[in-house]
Amino acid sequence: MIVNELILPVILVTVVLVVGAYLVAVIDEAIAGALGLPRAANAWMAPLARGAWLLTQQANATEAPDWRAWRLAPALYLALAAIGLAVVPFSPTLIPTDLVTGVVLWGSIEALATVVIFLHGWSANTLLSLIGAYRYVALGLSYILISMFVLIGVALPAESLQFSQVVASQAELWNVIRQPLGLPLFLIVGLGVTFWGPLNLADSRDLAGGTASAISGPPRLVWNLARSAMLVAFSGAAASAFLGGWLGPWLPGPVWMLLKMLAVLAVLLLIGRLVPRVQPERCVTLMWVVLLPLSFVDLIWAGVEALW
Amino acid sequence: MDYPLIVDLFFVLLSVLAVVSGWRVFCTDSMVRASFFLLVSFIAVGLIMILLAAQYLGVAMFFMMAVEMMVMALFMVMFMMNPAGLNPMMMVHQHRFAIVAGAVSFVVLAAVALLAEFPDSPLPADLDPVTSLGNELLGDSMLIFESAGIVLLTTMIGVVVLSSHRGRFGAAEEGSMPPGLAPGGEPAGMPKESDEGGGHHHHHCH
Repeated sequence: MIVNELILPVILVTVVLVVGAYLVAVIDEAIAGALGLPRAANAWMAPLARGAWLLTQQANATEAPDWRAWRLAPALYLALAAIGLAVVPFSPTLIPTDLVTGVVLWGSIEALATVVIFLHGWSANTLLSLIGAYRYVALGLSYILISMFVLIGVALPAESLQFSQVVASQAELWNVIRQPLGLPLFLIVGLGVTFWGPLNLADSRDLAGGTASAISGPPRLVWNLARSAMLVAFSGAAASAFLGGWLGPWLPGPVWMLLKMLAVLAVLLLIGRLVPRVQPERCVTLMWVVLLPLSFVDLIWAGVEALW
Repeated sequence: MDYPLIVDLFFVLLSVLAVVSGWRVFCTDSMVRASFFLLVSFIAVGLIMILLAAQYLGVAMFFMMAVEMMVMALFMVMFMMNPAGLNPMMMVHQHRFAIVAGAVSFVVLAAVALLAEFPDSPLPADLDPVTSLGNELLGDSMLIFESAGIVLLTTMIGVVVLSSHRGRFGAAEEGSMPPGLAPGGEPAGMPKESDEGGGHHHHHCH
């Protein structure tokens, strides 16, 4: 019982997160190579070499930081990614935690991520990381709202807040077709919460690295790992909420799930490389004036479709 | 009702975490730290609620409190003129009143815990807490909950409007000027109006 309910889920989540975060780096390098951007000589070895190099570097210190919060924040962000992936089902039976309120827990992960990202920038006690932290809070609230409406939309046809029920409800038609606005909006939320690519406003170059501008060595390694891991967890949630999770012909469920996660990751990383960074003020307007109303439309669509 | 020993163990650990982090709220010297210690305390309470089979309310506690504490920390920093919340400041005031109020509420709550007779009705095995909560919220009690929600929202907007009327350097509708660095001096941190002339401001006569 302990093996099935505790050890196996922990191993599953850890392996998927670590291998997934590694693959994020590899795919990103491969996309950079395909687009003719500067890239490492060997895409498979480069992330490992960089990780090993960061491990041997000294951890930077600033003047009077909040040490505990500063060191804890990357680890907490990684933990949030692990908790988020833990409610994602890989097959009808292979589910790390089949929480009946899994969809609500995803909303909580995004809300707590806002706190952790703010804490990471705030506790360094330096200017640019503080600006990054405040910037993320201003934007994070809109990401949370959009994600909440989109996720309520997928819970409606399932009549459940459980991710396994959400997947089971897509047996006839995947949510990506049934609610066409859902997946694009959820992917934008994913880029926002991991501040990746066009929505990298918390750790952006115009802030010399933002919340991560003052960290080096092992803490930076954990922070980078945590961001990639959160992207992996997001791809898991997106695959089960919109792409039918384990459902699919011929192949076993977990393989379908992993393939769909990889496809979502590839799309996210491609967007990250192709789309330029949005200006923060414009991003707030875009979120509240365009995307939030679109998420209302998505929810009304889902409601009408469920009543039909 | 039968439950494994580990539930008791987690209950004790989470209770200790909730109480200790709640106590740290009053010992820290920063608004941001105080908010997040309170958040840790609430998360521990939310986990205890999940142990008590209130699965929706426990998880809802996480996101409600995370957003609430984040916004609270931000608003406190904005209203309290402490640019980042890292500057040390006294977080407690009205000591005598606070001590008396704290002692009285502790005695009352402890008396309730010790003297009240709690109903002994174990959960039915087929109970679905999320569904029953949804039926309660959007069924017979819908009018009460919805009107309470609207009243709370109106209160929040009203409080912000009333409290932000008086700004840092004067009333909002009059326009505000920061005080001078020296008594009676020019407003601090304001650009001089005649600076557009490219440094010729000493030629202008007033």
